[in-house]
Formats: sequence, C-alpha cells, structure tokens
Amino acid sequence: MFQSVFQRHWNPYVVLIVAGLLSALYFGLTSTVWAVTGEFTRLGGEILQVFGVDVSGWEYYQMVKLDGSTWTRPDGWIVWGMFVGALMMVLLSNSFKVRLPQQRRRYVQGFVGGIIAGFGARLALGCNLAAFFTGVPQFSFHSWIFIVATGIGTFFGAKLTKMRWWKGKPSLARGAGKPSVAKTRVIQPYVGGAIALVYLGFVVYLFSTGQKLLGLGALFGLAFGVLIERGQICFTSAFRDLFLVGRSLMTKAIIIGMTASSVITFVVISVYDMTPITQIAALSTLVGGVLFGLGIVMASGCETGMMYRLMEGQVLFLPVFAGNVIGATVLAYGWDNLGIYDVLVQGGDKINLIATLGPAGAILSTLVMLGVLYALTVYREKSYHRNFELKRGVA
Amino acid sequence: MEAMKEADFTLDLRGESCPYPVIYTLEALEGMNKGELLQVITDCPGSFRNVPEEAIAHGYTFAQDPVKNGQEYLFYIYA
Repeated sequence: MFQSVFQRHWNPYVVLIVAGLLSALYFGLTSTVWAVTGEFTRLGGEILQVFGVDVSGWEYYQMVKLDGSTWTRPDGWIVWGMFVGALMMVLLSNSFKVRLPQQRRRYVQGFVGGIIAGFGARLALGCNLAAFFTGVPQFSFHSWIFIVATGIGTFFGAKLTKMRWWKGKPSLARGAGKPSVAKTRVIQPYVGGAIALVYLGFVVYLFSTGQKLLGLGALFGLAFGVLIERGQICFTSAFRDLFLVGRSLMTKAIIIGMTASSVITFVVISVYDMTPITQIAALSTLVGGVLFGLGIVMASGCETGMMYRLMEGQVLFLPVFAGNVIGATVLAYGWDNLGIYDVLVQGGDKINLIATLGPAGAILSTLVMLGVLYALTVYREKSYHRNFELKRGVA
Repeated sequence: MEAMKEADFTLDLRGESCPYPVIYTLEALEGMNKGELLQVITDCPGSFRNVPEEAIAHGYTFAQDPVKNGQEYLFYIYA
C-alpha cells in the first residue's frame, strides 16, 4: 500500500477524473473555479506595489480584484496549497533532487517561454485550467476557442523544439557510464510528513476561526497539488507529445477528466441553480491561446506543471515561474495602457452554452466536442506510428 | 545482470526536463546499429514513464527492467 501510494506515480486517468470531480465540488462550495494564473497576475501587482508602483488604476486589476494580499485570498491559497501538496508528495516519495539542466540555453528558453505563456494565458483570461480543464465544464465558449488556439501554438512550439539550435546536443558517450551514488540515509519522507502535519493543522485553524473560504482554498489547493505531482499531470505534453512522438496518454486522460468534470458540474449547476463562470470570447482568446501554446512548449511546462516540477527540484522552473508572473503583469499593464482591450477584447462577448443552447444542448454539444477531440487524438497517434513504421521499413 | 553485455553508448540526461529525454533517447537509438545497447541515465520524473513507454512504442526492446537508483532511473535499451 505504502509502496503503491508513495513510490509509484498514479494512473493519470484516475488522477484527472478525481481532479475533475474535486474541481466541480470546489465550484459547488465556493462558486469559483480551480485556477492559478489570475493569482499570478495579482502577485505581480503586489510586487509592483512593494516597489511603490500604484496599480490600483489599472483596469485589469479592477477586473481580477486585487484586494488584500495573497494570504487573504482563497485563490492565493489554491496556489500555495498546490505548491505545498506537490512538495509534500515529492518528499514523502523521497524524490527531491536539485536538478540543473546540462543545457544552459534552457534557462533562457524557460524564461522567455514563461513570459509568453503568462502573457497569453491572461490575455485569454485563463490558462489550461480556467480556459481549459475547468473552463469547458463551466460551458464557457471561450474555452473552446482556447483549446483550438493552444493546439495551434503547441504545434509551432513542437516544431521549434525539434530544431537543432533549440534542443542542443545531448551528452552521448561511448561505453557504459556511471550512475550517481544513491544515498542510503533517507530523511526526505520525515520532512514531508512534518510539512503535511503543520499544513493540515493550519487548515484546521482556518476553519476553526471561521475563515471557511480560505480553508477550502488551502485544502483543495493541497489536494490539487498532490494529484498533479503524483499523476505527473502535464498539460503541456498533452498536445506537444502528440505532435512530437505520437504520445497520447496525457491527452486522453485530460479529455476523460474534463468529461467527468463537465457532467458533475452540469449536475451541480442544475441542482443548486448556480450561475456558471463565463469569460469573454474574443479575438484575444485566440491570440492568447496561440501564444500560451507556444510559450508552454518553449518553457517545457505550463503554469500548473511548472509548480510541481519546481518542487521536485527542477531548477529550470524558477525562471519559468518568474517569467509567468512577469508576462501576466505585462499583460495587466497593457490591457488599458497599451490598448490591448480596445483592439482584441472589446468586440467579444461572454458566451455561455447553457444560456445560448439550453442545458441539454450545452451538455450534449460539450460531450460531442470532447468526443471529437478524443477521436482526433487517436487518429493522430495512429497516423504518427504508421508513418514511423514506413520510415523505419525504408531505412 | 551478469549475463547482460556492457552498454555500447551512455546517454546522460541528468538535469534535462521533458520533452528532451524522450527526443534525445529516440534520436540516439535511431543513430545506433541494430543490436547495440544504450544505457540511459535520467532524473526527470516525467521521463521515468514516457522514455520507456515511447521506446517500446517505437519498436525498441529492453535488455532488463528499469533500475531505480535513488532519485534517478537507469534504462537499458537495444537499438
């Protein structure tokens, strides 16, 4: 039991179905969704305020409500909870290690990609959570545009990744090389256990002092962090690896998870008569999605995936995190100050499928769309391997 | 272990993040002669799963089961 929970990575299908159900439940309890990049934008604003920049006049910050601090916002605790949950599982499984990329160029690629991904995500009003994994189940049409756009951006990202000057030369040597000497003294699980206890105590404190929304954010954030780390849930790889090497596991698991989440969210919305969260669908969604898709492949990770990789000790994701916050903050500045809103967003509209197609139409069209995505995924995987075998046969 | 022949090439992927472990591994195998043995040393947790799965999906075979060595994994794959 201990072995299979802490030593192995969990099945991504199971993990994403559970994450989908939890995010539907979180919505039912709080009327907000599992999201991270909105909080990254606010973090950027807070940092600017520390340096004396007054951002209260920026329209974007009025829209995403920059009040209090990251410690007094449920969205903030979703983010920190995810970091803690991921770190806890990394330590409990004794898998923390400082991992420095051999290729120095990765730092630059990560930083630049992070900026592009952060900018794109906020332009589209959500990353692969609010405009994808938790956006589709809210029946917000902007997430449909975002999925297509991310696919396009990722396609070009994958092309870039294969270029010689981008990927660099691997360290391939003749003969048998020596692996590292594994440490026999294992202390990480104890540290992980201690962090888990302290954090759970803190969650209990939040609830017992009546800070229910913060407590829920902290608790669900923790659960999401545990899930994405143990399942190695990488949204970046979903499209990218399909284009690169015909790998479909993560794509299929994400589609199945979104299907489960859509059905449950639909029930929650109908039974409790809730209003789904709808974002503007506009040209900005398309442009933002393409930039996001390109940026996450350049950076080797999206805003969600970078969180658990950073906790595993992958140093590459420090510049990616910084880039994400910078990119999101630049977008927040440019929203009104550089006229981004007027050019790309103004012509758009909040389109919710439940409102436009009716409840039955909304869930049916969503299921059909997910079915088509699944079919395309299988088709791409098959055609990649058919071509690969042909090529191999000729060679 | 004793019966296995010495690796002909070693691909040291320590520190590299996805997708580079998969790309490098497949390219290394492609460039080798059939029957030669590649040793892969990797420490990116994502690669513990996608490298062996993709090597097999691309028609390569494993000389032995993956070896967990602390925070890294060792793979032995025939080109």
